[in-house]
Amino acid sequence: MYIWKCWRDTRSFFIAFLVVAAGAMPFIGLTSRGSNMVRDVGMTAVSGTFGLITMIVALGLGAIGATHEFAEQATHFLFTQPRSRQYFVWAGWSVGGIELAIIAAVGLLASWATLAVYGIRPFSAPLLGSIQERNIVAMFLYSFFVYALTYSLTAVLRSGLKGLGASLGTLTALSAFAVLMRVRWNMRLPTPVEKIGGLPLAASYVVWMSIALLFVYGAQVAMERAEI
Amino acid sequence: MTELAIGTKDLTKTYDTIRAVSGIDLNVPKGGIYGFLGRNGAGKTTTIKMLLGLARPTAGSIQVLGMDASSDLLGILQRTAFVSEKKTLYPSLTPSDLVRFSRGFYPTWSGSAVEKYARLFEIPMKQRFEKLSNGNQTKVWLLLALCQGADLLVLDEPTSALDPVSLDQLMRVLAEDTLDRGCTIFFSSHQLEEVERIAEYVGVIDGGNLLIEARLDDIKSEFRLIIAAGNSLPAETSAQVLSVDVQDGFYRYVVTKDADGFAAGLSRSGATVTSIAPLSLREIFLHLVRKEQPCTSGNAGATRVLSSSLS
Repeated sequence: MYIWKCWRDTRSFFIAFLVVAAGAMPFIGLTSRGSNMVRDVGMTAVSGTFGLITMIVALGLGAIGATHEFAEQATHFLFTQPRSRQYFVWAGWSVGGIELAIIAAVGLLASWATLAVYGIRPFSAPLLGSIQERNIVAMFLYSFFVYALTYSLTAVLRSGLKGLGASLGTLTALSAFAVLMRVRWNMRLPTPVEKIGGLPLAASYVVWMSIALLFVYGAQVAMERAEI
Repeated sequence: MTELAIGTKDLTKTYDTIRAVSGIDLNVPKGGIYGFLGRNGAGKTTTIKMLLGLARPTAGSIQVLGMDASSDLLGILQRTAFVSEKKTLYPSLTPSDLVRFSRGFYPTWSGSAVEKYARLFEIPMKQRFEKLSNGNQTKVWLLLALCQGADLLVLDEPTSALDPVSLDQLMRVLAEDTLDRGCTIFFSSHQLEEVERIAEYVGVIDGGNLLIEARLDDIKSEFRLIIAAGNSLPAETSAQVLSVDVQDGFYRYVVTKDADGFAAGLSRSGATVTSIAPLSLREIFLHLVRKEQPCTSGNAGATRVLSSSLS
């Protein structure tokens, strides 16, 4: 029943962005079809749209999901139900994570299906090229990282706006710090979800996802220690 | 020895320099109604929060339904229903949604109780929680608590915002329905007349100290107001004398035990005892928590700790 409530809290946002993803990505793909820009530029129009949509969804779901649970002053009620706080933190996070994955998958499938039908050479449509170039995977993992960060910060700060702001601030600060290090000291620091040093890309992804899960674990610990 | 639903030992909670609860030993017998009384900020809600794991004790131990709150909190929550002082819930959910949400947590949940109490309390089950009046929001909390089939009801100000009719209905439900099935009720309230009406046991907390804890009947049979006239009568408080007022040559003593013996002592001193009267719970409460000197830090130090053993 708790899962049902988490779904109920986020379903409007989920459905709205599901429609956007299913509509906008094929539209962008179609309008870009035939222009060499799509294949020549590493990040295609489709994958760019994908990145934008999943990023917005990650921020939105992270803030909305945790706000409903931990910032609406219903914690007296929630935390006196006979389940651990660990359960509530991870169950809420999982629902949003699944929704994010579904929106990403539906957007990609809709784009692929549309380009497969309308494209001149369906199987070399820009979308497939993007997947092969791993842009899509990296962008999805990045949005997953952002989702975990936003959810965790919202839970800890018990405010959707504060969580969203802190998440955006953290991401901006990370990027700015990496740029500063590169420009000032010529040191290359990886930002989420870039390749880390000599690690293979897949291993780097595992590290970044582990960090994302650590954020949620941190939120769990904070919730377990919180006095309501 | 009476079996306890709630037992605390030296329970203490401090927030920075503020001592919200100061080493209290609660003894709530199983199967009864226990009224937990105190002024605003006395430590009632903090105590209740500690019982249910919403706040961690600074010191002391808590046993609820035979389980240790520090190690078996989920076991306690499984058998305990709670109505919070803050009557906020998920604003977009309707009472029906909240029932759907809650019932999955409790194997002992009663669907027939939902229908019964929703009808009794006239709760609009299809209206969003945020649109409900304060009274109806309180009723939703009560509905969710009453339908869990819990062994212990912990109610923090359950009567707030209830109209007299709803208040009367609630008191009937608590006194009849829940007690019939052996449930223990521990509730805090400022409605002293209602507490007096249904409570079997009473505890009074003030400044984080448990001033008194006993059967209500025992308290009411022991506490007496003695009015006497005379010269140079004792005007000091003691373990037996809770308060003394002198007005127009009449001494008004509130005594906590052996009123007849005290009155006899006054007579021997040459006083004329004009009346020995019982006190209502409200009067006893007011005398217990009445401040005799200005407070400088919370309520601490302004009241005396009386004996606090359940007979």
